[in-house]
Amino acid sequence: MTDTQPEIDLDELVLKYRPVVSFRVRKALGGATPDWEDVADEIITQVIEKIKNGEFRGESSIGTFIYTITSRRIVDHIRQKTKVLRHAPEPSAFPDPHETVENRERAEQIANAVKGLKPKFREVLYLYYYKEMPREEVARRLGIPPRRVSERVNYALKLIKKDLKK
Amino acid sequence: MTECKYEGLIDRYLLHQMGEGERNEFEEHYFNCASCFAKMVERDEIVGVLKREKSVFAAEERPAIEARTTALHERVFAFFTPKQWALAGAAAALLIAVLTMTPLFRNGHSEFVMNGEETVRGSSLTLISPVIDINAVPAYFEWKKLGDDVEYQVSIYNGDLLWKTSTKDNTVSLPEDIKSRMIAGQRYSWQVKAFSKEGTLIAVSSRVQFTVNPAN
Repeated sequence: MTDTQPEIDLDELVLKYRPVVSFRVRKALGGATPDWEDVADEIITQVIEKIKNGEFRGESSIGTFIYTITSRRIVDHIRQKTKVLRHAPEPSAFPDPHETVENRERAEQIANAVKGLKPKFREVLYLYYYKEMPREEVARRLGIPPRRVSERVNYALKLIKKDLKK
Repeated sequence: MTECKYEGLIDRYLLHQMGEGERNEFEEHYFNCASCFAKMVERDEIVGVLKREKSVFAAEERPAIEARTTALHERVFAFFTPKQWALAGAAAALLIAVLTMTPLFRNGHSEFVMNGEETVRGSSLTLISPVIDINAVPAYFEWKKLGDDVEYQVSIYNGDLLWKTSTKDNTVSLPEDIKSRMIAGQRYSWQVKAFSKEGTLIAVSSRVQFTVNPAN
């Protein structure tokens, strides 16, 4: 019953899901992988085609539908690369914030906000994010309860965000 | 405003601390939850800078953080959280109170009963010879002397008790009839018990095994 297909505004869909797909692809392939943007574009194109062909029948949410297509395409891409390179591309942990001038400025803003924090917040961010210690280990190191670690991390993030909005 | 239950998982995802199943579930979620996705992107930006820009943690500050957080006394203290330390302290106080009060509720002294293998003091009794396999029936058995006025009870076994004697010396010679009953290739063991002059068992040696090797 193709006449029961959910109506979807494709422009709105691309606007909403392109950043999500891009984020997922960049996480999986690494921001340093040159073709991550091409893969993201291919996924969006594939999603539009499938919706136009009536392959999305509303059995799952549109988010899950796009997530499934994205995941499959990422796996295919890694398989293709593995055949060529004999190994899967190493996903980098985080996108490089120096990709663009805009990003660089933003990274500097964040760095300055962190530098402006009190030492007790900087040290918890250092151990938790930079050293990637589990919350319990950070708590042991600092001699505070694990709950307090979460509170300090959350408060530090809040202060950074507040600083960025200035 | 109610927080989405997945929000608490953002750090675990960004720090690659999730297993495959949990990661897939979280990824599917942020494809469906604009709020979580927005918060994750925002967090990812900050975490990315924290991970890449070492300079945000001043070079002179990093060793200080390390040193401060790994100081031995802090590590010992931080073994428990303050709440756990308080609980441990309360438990210790309760234990001391119970141990202190318990004798008051007893009717008289408890009886101290010993069986034949228990010793009053923890003296050790060391056997000297024989302690390894030997080529001929031993002429004597020797052990380390514990002191004056100690009586030793020596027992030799061949599975069952072969011979038993007492002496105040730290050696004992085998009688000829016992020697003649000891045969090559047989496994034997021996043990010494020490008694005070009051007859109290004060030490027991381990039971040492030896074999009289057949003559070549």
